[in-house]
Amino acid sequence: MSAAKRQSARRPIRWTSRLLDSLTVLLSLLWLFPLVVSLWMSFRPQFASADSSALLLGLFTLDNYYDAWRISPWGTHYVNTLIFVVGTLLVQLVTVTLAAYAFARLRFPGRDLLLLLVLAQLMIPSTVLLAQNFVTIRNLGLYDSHIAMMMPYFGSAFGTLLLRQAFRSVPYELEEAARVDGANVWQVLRHVYVPLSVPSYVAFSLVSISSHWNEFLWPLIVTQSESVRPLTVGLNKLVQSSEVGALYNQQMAGTILVIAPLVLLFMRWQKQFIESFAQSGIK
Amino acid sequence: MPLRRLTPYLFVAPTLAFIVLFTLYPATQTLVTSLYQPARRASGEPTFIGLQNFVNLFNPSHFIGADFVIIFGNTLIFALVTVILSVPLALVFALLLNRKIQALGLWRFAIFYPALLPMLGAASLWAFIFADSIGVAASILGFFGLANPNWLGDPNLALFSVTLVNVWKQSGYLMIFYLAGLQAIPRDIYEAAAIEGANGWQQLRFLTLPLLRRTTLFVLVVTFLFAFQTVEHLPALGSGGPGVRSNLILYYIYQKIPERLNWGYVNAMTTVLISIVLTFTLLNMAFFERKGVEDERG
Repeated sequence: MSAAKRQSARRPIRWTSRLLDSLTVLLSLLWLFPLVVSLWMSFRPQFASADSSALLLGLFTLDNYYDAWRISPWGTHYVNTLIFVVGTLLVQLVTVTLAAYAFARLRFPGRDLLLLLVLAQLMIPSTVLLAQNFVTIRNLGLYDSHIAMMMPYFGSAFGTLLLRQAFRSVPYELEEAARVDGANVWQVLRHVYVPLSVPSYVAFSLVSISSHWNEFLWPLIVTQSESVRPLTVGLNKLVQSSEVGALYNQQMAGTILVIAPLVLLFMRWQKQFIESFAQSGIK
Repeated sequence: MPLRRLTPYLFVAPTLAFIVLFTLYPATQTLVTSLYQPARRASGEPTFIGLQNFVNLFNPSHFIGADFVIIFGNTLIFALVTVILSVPLALVFALLLNRKIQALGLWRFAIFYPALLPMLGAASLWAFIFADSIGVAASILGFFGLANPNWLGDPNLALFSVTLVNVWKQSGYLMIFYLAGLQAIPRDIYEAAAIEGANGWQQLRFLTLPLLRRTTLFVLVVTFLFAFQTVEHLPALGSGGPGVRSNLILYYIYQKIPERLNWGYVNAMTTVLISIVLTFTLLNMAFFERKGVEDERG
């Protein structure tokens, strides 16, 4: 583009551009507002309302966090959420890798039919099946355990499809070369397919971690002891007690405790999160 | 059979076993149980009653229908309003954040972070905004001398408040599909249009929007589909109240699980939900599959 043309194009664009910039900032602040207010409230003394005349920085307290910590054993909840999230992911990585490889590179009778059965999970998400799945968990004698929360997610159609796609783009010659060198199927997976599909593994892991970190209704239904319940269920306890006593400061402190880890991770790896979520539309 | 021929089945087996146990089996079980009425005593056998559970669900003068008809309507309104508000917002966000702007990361964070929150956490943030007298909305409206409506207690407003939280949470997530769509449009199209004398508005109207049609279709279906499964915000926003005026199907199912005598209805309601979700997922997949085929060809 010539300099003259750029010059002429620039003048009308400058103020629309500034207008659009302002709109971006305005909407962003609006969207940030609930988080900022809650963060603020979580450090404010109880019963000081948002418009209180004492909007002084001097009135800053950690009491709400102490109180929230007294109502529910957050340390235990953190550990339980970690067990739930990491445990689920580890099992998924194994099941998904094996199934993806079979569907991507092996020929066997009934393959298309089996793939269709796997796809059923995308058509009927397990969230809507919680009543019957609750019965299954109880009949298996797993009620009120970590494994009860994790088990419905051990098979993942989303992960299987995502990695199948990744494995199919690995040149088959690489596998052949490895085979000629005497590699067995495990070695082929370990040294050829898995290393070449790292971006897909990252995408799948981020989606899996964030969706299970946030999981609430299912863990609530299949557990009853604090010793296995995750963060979200702990937060629910605060939410329910707040409704009675209007202790919003505590509730905000609890909310911050639950959301902080993922939000901080997102701040650090914004690009990876957004790219991974862009692939999760079929989840 | 030699081990080599068994290998594929062994590889697929774990995934398939869990999907059968937690998707196919419960779905079938739901369908079957929805045709039965539980026995009055826990030890008794359930009675086959055909489609009577469904008839009662949609009969407003039946005790279960009185609730369910309202809740079914709520769920449709919740899904539709979510789509109508969050899809255009998502497009606007994507258009704004696809430009050159300082501190892009900060603005992108601001719009996208709600997508990373647990639904209950998101609702919890809003609970304080909606709170009576000490709430943020009350303070802001009070500053301008306006009355604060009872966001969660007014039967005509509660469903809207609950929907608003979902719009706030979803639109950033939907934005990323539009961002991906925008980035797939070749730059030179715009240069050509600029040379032809098309201004920014015309480029948006006649180039960008038509080229995003496929993305829009996808986003519409996904949003609608997700809305039917989104209920975890309700416990922090009045638990579906007042009465059932802001309740949604899946949350009502959850509330009814402990009531043994309503087990037939729980399964009938789940069947209704499955039918809706299945229809839209198949639509979505038909679309996604076509796109997948083109990707593989290309």
